[in-house]
Amino acid sequence: MQCIRARSLTKSYGGAGRPAVDGIDLSVGAGSVFGFLGPNGAGKSTTIKMLTTLIRPDSGDLSVFGIDALRFPLEVRRRIGVVLQQASYEPTLTVSGALEKYGMMWDVPAAERRRRAGRLLEEFDLSEIRGKRNDDLSMGQRRRVQVAREFMHDMDLLFLDEPTVGMDPAARRALLDSLRRRAKSGLTIFYTTHVLAEAEYICDEIAIIKGGRTVAAGSPESLKSRFGSGREVRIRVPSRDGRIPALLGGVDGCSVSVDAGTEIRVRPSGSNEALLRVLRVLGSHGIEIDNLSAAPANLEETFLRVVEEEPGAPGR
Amino acid sequence: MHPVARLVNRNLTISLNPGFLVWQVVFPLIYVFVAGFAYSSLIDRVPFGGRDLAYPAYLATGMIGFNIMNSTLVSGVIIWNDRRNGMFEQIMSGPFTRTHYILASVLTQGIVGLASAGLIAGLGLAAYYDQAEPGLEAIPLVVFAAVTGSLLFGSTASIISTRLKTSEGFNVMINTVFLFFAFVSTAFYPAAGAPEPLATAFYLNPLTYLVDVVRAGMLGGGLTDLVLAEMAALAVLAAGLFALATRLLTRLDF
Ligand SMILES: Nc1ncnc2c1ncn2[C@@H]1O[C@H](COP(=O)(O)OP(=O)(O)OP(=O)(O)O)[C@@H](O)[C@H]1O
Ligand SMILES: [Mg+2]
Repeated sequence: MQCIRARSLTKSYGGAGRPAVDGIDLSVGAGSVFGFLGPNGAGKSTTIKMLTTLIRPDSGDLSVFGIDALRFPLEVRRRIGVVLQQASYEPTLTVSGALEKYGMMWDVPAAERRRRAGRLLEEFDLSEIRGKRNDDLSMGQRRRVQVAREFMHDMDLLFLDEPTVGMDPAARRALLDSLRRRAKSGLTIFYTTHVLAEAEYICDEIAIIKGGRTVAAGSPESLKSRFGSGREVRIRVPSRDGRIPALLGGVDGCSVSVDAGTEIRVRPSGSNEALLRVLRVLGSHGIEIDNLSAAPANLEETFLRVVEEEPGAPGR
Repeated sequence: MHPVARLVNRNLTISLNPGFLVWQVVFPLIYVFVAGFAYSSLIDRVPFGGRDLAYPAYLATGMIGFNIMNSTLVSGVIIWNDRRNGMFEQIMSGPFTRTHYILASVLTQGIVGLASAGLIAGLGLAAYYDQAEPGLEAIPLVVFAAVTGSLLFGSTASIISTRLKTSEGFNVMINTVFLFFAFVSTAFYPAAGAPEPLATAFYLNPLTYLVDVVRAGMLGGGLTDLVLAEMAALAVLAAGLFALATRLLTRLDF
């Protein structure tokens, strides 16, 4: 079942000019963790604001839970949780006071509010600072309160726009694990981050956008195998050999760089056959190989490649 | 609970902090009891409605109007703080509409306005009770003043909150508005006796209308033509500014 279905969403700020979001299609399955990646200014937050009905797209269609979100935004908002990129907090309230007040705003009954607040203070390691005013918190603490607060109410879909910014490694890991747990019990999560290891850790599906357009989409595995094949292979030879640059310069299908020492870097541009040709050339000239290594494809590398190579919107 | 009631609950919780209470209750009472009696040696009697009033009674009733303005300007600032602290966007991404938000902010201002009018009327009683001549119309008049005053000044603060972008600009604007409203008015001193351009300026200020209405109710000035005109002006200004504030808030972008 589809939880979010967006067709050709577009949004320009200030009317004219280059659109911040330029015809994005999205389809997010219920119960999945959907990673939404892209460089700074790609249009991620703008898209999230449209999906959460904070701003209206200039054009396009959007349905969330099968509800037409442009016509019935309140119906959608009643069932979603939103942690925006921008910090939000009640400066004069204490940490536990802020959680409870937020629960009240969502009409959670008083006894249930206290129970949830207590549990979330534990889960997000906030018990020690429960009596501190939000004004006096560190940036990472404030972010933890903001994320924890969102779990005061029930929801079917949660948007998180770079939730882990400012969090320490333990807090990050705790959040990711708790998101995984919640996703297992049916929550759909729409997740944005620049830390690709996070996306790799929790996302089932990923879309990479650039210049307001989708440039790649699929499961992390499929993206890695699609874009990670051209990864660099490093060949180490026992001693420096002046012939190597000339010998390998003529091999088709890859780019080769030889450093001043003994390392040759081969970057096949298509299939891995070019690598075989390199090895054959080296062998036929009696050049021995000490070591051969390929960095495993990771999402970060894939991301960098996609963002580097795919055009996105013109002029970006 | 209705969404508007939940937002009012939240607005009251975040604004009722010790600083707010000192500003809303302690300062006005210091004015009433310290300034009121200290100035009595300089200002003996104040002419009002065909009789002479003791200055403390004149000032105390002026402070009721002043406090309505003061407290609702402050509660109008909630919108500014919500924008600055990210809470406006957060609330708007939750189970609320802009209409809920606007109604809640008006109601909060109205409640704060009524409460502070009541507080100063009650706690300042000692300063004016021997001069008070509350007729039947006293309570409706003070309630009318509190409601229209809250709308008017609350909307003014909301308009400033939605138009300005920097904290400096916002603070300068709020303070200028506050100073003009507070001191170019009849809250502290009568217009009669002030030099001419100033005396006219007093009557270009809605706080003057507000305190005149309060005094008409509390001190038995009666519903003169002037007071009736002032009530009409208050109602029109409140409605107009509220409409403008709502319009601006509805269009506010994220
Ligand atoms: N309120 C605004 N007014 C004008 N332009 C805006 C506004 N918000 C965003 N933009 C522009 O829209 C584009 C997309 O911004 P957006 O915030 O959606 O990017 P993002 O992908 O979330 O970036 P980041 O990773 O930095 O958070 C950018 O070029 C940005 O300058
Ligand atoms: Mg962003």
